[in-house]
Amino acid sequence: MTSTALILIITLLTLGSYWVGMQRSIKVAGGVSQIKNMHSLPQQFGLLTAFCCGLPALFLLLLWGIVEPIIIQSLLVDSLDAQVQALSSADLSLYLNDIRIMADSTLSELSNDGVKQQAALYLQVLKDQASILKSGLILITALASVMFIASRFKLSFSARALSESVTKFLFLSCSVVAIFTTLGILMSVLFESLQFFKSVSSLDFLFGTTWSPQIAMRSDQVGSSGAFGAVPLFAGTMLISFIAMTIAAPVGLLTAIYLSQYASPTLRTIAKPMLEILAGIPTVVYGFFAALTVAPFIRDTGEALGLNVASESALAAGIVMGVMIIPFVSSLSDDALNAVPKALKEGSLAMGATESETIKKILLPAALPGIIGAMLLAVSRAIGETMIVVMAAGMAANLTANPLAAVTTVTVQIVTLLTGDQEFDSPKTLAAFALGLMLFVTTLLLNVIALKVVRKYREQYD
Amino acid sequence: MTNQLKTGQKALNMNDSSMHSNTDRIKKSLKKRNSKEKRFRLWGRLAISFGFLMVAILFADIGTKAYPAFFQHWIKVDIEFNRQWLSIEPSDSAVRPDMQALKQANYSATVKKSLYQMFPSITARGDKRDLMKLLSYSAEFKIEDLVTANPDLLGQRVSLWLLADDDVDSYFKSDFTAGQSSGRINDKQAMWLKQLFDSGAVEKRFNTLFFTNSDSREPELAGIRGALSGTILTMIIVLAISFPIGVSAALYLEEFAPKNRWTDMIEVNINNLAAVPSIVFGLLGLAVLINIFGLPRSASLVGGIVLSLMTLPTIIIASRASIKAVPNSIREAAIGLGASDMQVTLEHVLPMAMPGILTGTIIGLAQALGETAPLLMIGMVAFIVDVPTNFTDAATVMPVQIYLWADSPESAFLAKTSAAILVLLAFLLIMNFSATFLRSKFEKNGQ
Amino acid sequence: MTIKTKSLTDGMEIEHTVGNVFADDPKMSMRNVDVFYNDKQAIKNVSIDLARNQVTALIGPSGCGKSTFLRCLNRMNDTIDICKIKGSLLLDGEDIYHKKMDPVLLRARVGMVFQKPNPFPKSIYDNVAYGPRIHGLAASKDDLDEIVVTSLQKAGLYKEVKDRLSSSGTGLSGGQQQRLCIARTIAVSPEIILMDEPASALDPIATAIIEELIDELKEKYTIAIVTHSMQQAARISQTTAYFHMGSLIEVGSTDHIFTNPSHQLTENYITGRFG
Repeated sequence: MTSTALILIITLLTLGSYWVGMQRSIKVAGGVSQIKNMHSLPQQFGLLTAFCCGLPALFLLLLWGIVEPIIIQSLLVDSLDAQVQALSSADLSLYLNDIRIMADSTLSELSNDGVKQQAALYLQVLKDQASILKSGLILITALASVMFIASRFKLSFSARALSESVTKFLFLSCSVVAIFTTLGILMSVLFESLQFFKSVSSLDFLFGTTWSPQIAMRSDQVGSSGAFGAVPLFAGTMLISFIAMTIAAPVGLLTAIYLSQYASPTLRTIAKPMLEILAGIPTVVYGFFAALTVAPFIRDTGEALGLNVASESALAAGIVMGVMIIPFVSSLSDDALNAVPKALKEGSLAMGATESETIKKILLPAALPGIIGAMLLAVSRAIGETMIVVMAAGMAANLTANPLAAVTTVTVQIVTLLTGDQEFDSPKTLAAFALGLMLFVTTLLLNVIALKVVRKYREQYD
Repeated sequence: MTNQLKTGQKALNMNDSSMHSNTDRIKKSLKKRNSKEKRFRLWGRLAISFGFLMVAILFADIGTKAYPAFFQHWIKVDIEFNRQWLSIEPSDSAVRPDMQALKQANYSATVKKSLYQMFPSITARGDKRDLMKLLSYSAEFKIEDLVTANPDLLGQRVSLWLLADDDVDSYFKSDFTAGQSSGRINDKQAMWLKQLFDSGAVEKRFNTLFFTNSDSREPELAGIRGALSGTILTMIIVLAISFPIGVSAALYLEEFAPKNRWTDMIEVNINNLAAVPSIVFGLLGLAVLINIFGLPRSASLVGGIVLSLMTLPTIIIASRASIKAVPNSIREAAIGLGASDMQVTLEHVLPMAMPGILTGTIIGLAQALGETAPLLMIGMVAFIVDVPTNFTDAATVMPVQIYLWADSPESAFLAKTSAAILVLLAFLLIMNFSATFLRSKFEKNGQ
Repeated sequence: MTIKTKSLTDGMEIEHTVGNVFADDPKMSMRNVDVFYNDKQAIKNVSIDLARNQVTALIGPSGCGKSTFLRCLNRMNDTIDICKIKGSLLLDGEDIYHKKMDPVLLRARVGMVFQKPNPFPKSIYDNVAYGPRIHGLAASKDDLDEIVVTSLQKAGLYKEVKDRLSSSGTGLSGGQQQRLCIARTIAVSPEIILMDEPASALDPIATAIIEELIDELKEKYTIAIVTHSMQQAARISQTTAYFHMGSLIEVGSTDHIFTNPSHQLTENYITGRFG
């Protein structure tokens, strides 16, 4: 039985047990007319029964999913010859992988290795047995716990309190998912980064100026150590983010100012959806636009002016990224401007200041912390943006401040290192996680500072 | 007080005449100040126009690039279902061949020879090869399907519309001068195409294959069905995970959580998680879901889980705002009637907050629908021809398909990419508008 | 003066204002002013003069339109898109809603002090210097210093803040903040000062200081003040106008209005039977 089918059956059983619990409680009460004698409503009994059916079953399913592969593998290894068991762990895992592939494929005649074929058949049998065992165990547990809870129903049974505390506990666990996600991210990038720093010194990584991980692909090559100096990536990321911000910051801020202070209601009703469209366009579309329209345009223009422009220039990626961030900046700046009390604006206007004087001398200074927060969040967005740079910026790790040259970024390198074939413990792959760690830490810092600034500033006017 | 009065009077005497000179001074400065005001407004207008311009350029650019992808050229070929060409034994027309024989027949030779028949003047080998290049290689599969479905066709001669090769397709779509070489079509091919065109054997049709086929190495056959199925499977996972968890978390944080450092931490955590770059979620998926839990690479299940984690903060934040907006009087009234906390929350607060929660969920889903980067990390970037039907099948999604096609060297994929983008944007716009609609309806109800 | 009286209920129509709306020496004169918010009429056919160097108090129940009317006098209602104004409003005989009248200049001539003190989040000095700076009134730094000091003196705040001119204006007490706002207004040397319940957010002591200040200021400026407090109106104004549901019911010398109101509605309000 597949997991999908099992989950479907558990769901149906859970729904059914809701009904069973309800009926059972009505029976215990002595009929529909006697429900008022019960401590709780039949629905609450039903909910409790449903919890008793579904939760243990789901828990077992998850547990099984984690434990089963380990047990099956050890059984499989035990069944193999001693000489196979004596293989190194890497070779053994390759060997087991072959068996797994053979077991999964229907064309078992692919290999003529009899031992492996036998093992594959054994694996098939083990898997089938495990599947039956799993389904049986889970279904029996579900039914047993339903029967158990239903047998305990009586008039004074507080199904409501019990079901409500279970619900509350479920709610609580859901809100903790966010924390586990953060921890998971941190652990995964940290753990792999530590592995990486075992083979590459962290100083070389942070301050080295040569980035050429490709050399490390083949260990038998001369100079196989590869170079993991990430400075060109940081510089490239900053260059592109800087170009993006020089577009997004003024345009976004001016848009927010014009829309909130000057625009007629009609313009506002047109411009808001326009910004929403810009914000809603997937980054892969921006990337396509940058790579196939903006980059060639900039190259041609540059060449017409006699400039030497790379076909994957930082400028193209930066400009398009800037356009992508405009709505982000403008909506956050809008919030910051709106948080300034209207009385200040009126006070300034009543002094005879023009609107632009009011905006420049009163509104903007008052909203400055909020606007700075917005800009920091936008920078964090630019640093973490991936698709535009993957598609429109280059792979070449040049250390340059020339916007017309090709540069590469942290995110581009993460994608390059992790797509395609990968050996998981090679420094090349691990380097991606070290870059991921840098990315995570940088953006996290920017966000924490930005949110602090914004929060402080809100309190000022609350 | 008397002291104050004195200083006041002194001051009054001091600049008694300043009043009118002030007015004059201000009047003089007005022109400059007003032109500054105008300039400032102009900057604002320019900024907004820049936004509009970018939207316009983007859509015009993609729209014009996408347009050709929605049409394809077909060529009419007289196919002779010749038993000899098909190498079907026996060649005796009276005997009906069995299925096995039909399956193994040589359809490619049949297409070739039928085509040569149409151009008897072509004899050179190279020319013959060039002639065959006019047709998509899918032609042989089409006639195979025809014959297996209807073996009576054997021995007959039928006029069939066959799909043109992508180079031919591009040729007809460009401003070609009839009979002249252009692009990857050489002079001779151009001449044959002119002949075909003049005899009415070329037709432009709406490209249905784009919607019914999966990815293919041949641009004329490539379609988005596989990516669409993958997207739908992934979105089902995202919805199934992020909606219940997001709403439950929001309900807990707003309605039940005690205000202490723990809940503060959760809140800060959620806000920060909302701003973590999406690619980092991909790293999480790779390191934890694939390498530790051993879930299959490239599967929509893993993609869905990663995108759910990414979408959760959006849904939680929107749901909390919406729950917070439910007036407290509702809660008090329900508690006053003896309802428990949980009953108040589930029966009164949640239904009232639902429109806002749904709006947030749609926005979150739209975000997940357009996301590419984390999926590259977990291997959803493979070339996948089969339509995925299960959550563990190798799959790809629309944005990744766009990314893959955008990288392809064949020029015909450029149009395909743009067309796929249009389809994706159409989905996103529908989602965004429904979210806006829900929100405006909600705001009206809220008043 | 004829009054068409149906009843004393709120639905009553008023055709004319009771009392003499004409001042001998008017600084501003408003005639037949109507104000609309979209289709809703907020001010109905109001005519009144503001006498030079006098304090005119606008009183009436909440929502009677007195604040709206006040905001028309320096075109603060321009910032509200849905607000439309009809009638003639003259400042020294000039139509303030004329195309050629620049609201910037008008507002420099007709200053305004708001209900809630709204000092800018800048230093005390910069608050007062704000107006002179934007209008370019000070030729030098010394000029500006002098304007700031005299304005603070006129507002009776100088002694209290002279040692901390560079500290933030928002750090002052409510009464001091309001006097700072008055100083800020005076610094541009306006001809008229409009005050929208300037003391309503203040404690009695701060209120007394502000009232005394207003009394001094009328020597130099023409003042119109909206107030909720009848005692305040009686203490500081020379002329009082009573508004009711967007109409101006009665205008007269303050003494007359408070001792012997001619209109029933005014009397109801004064005696506390209404509002």
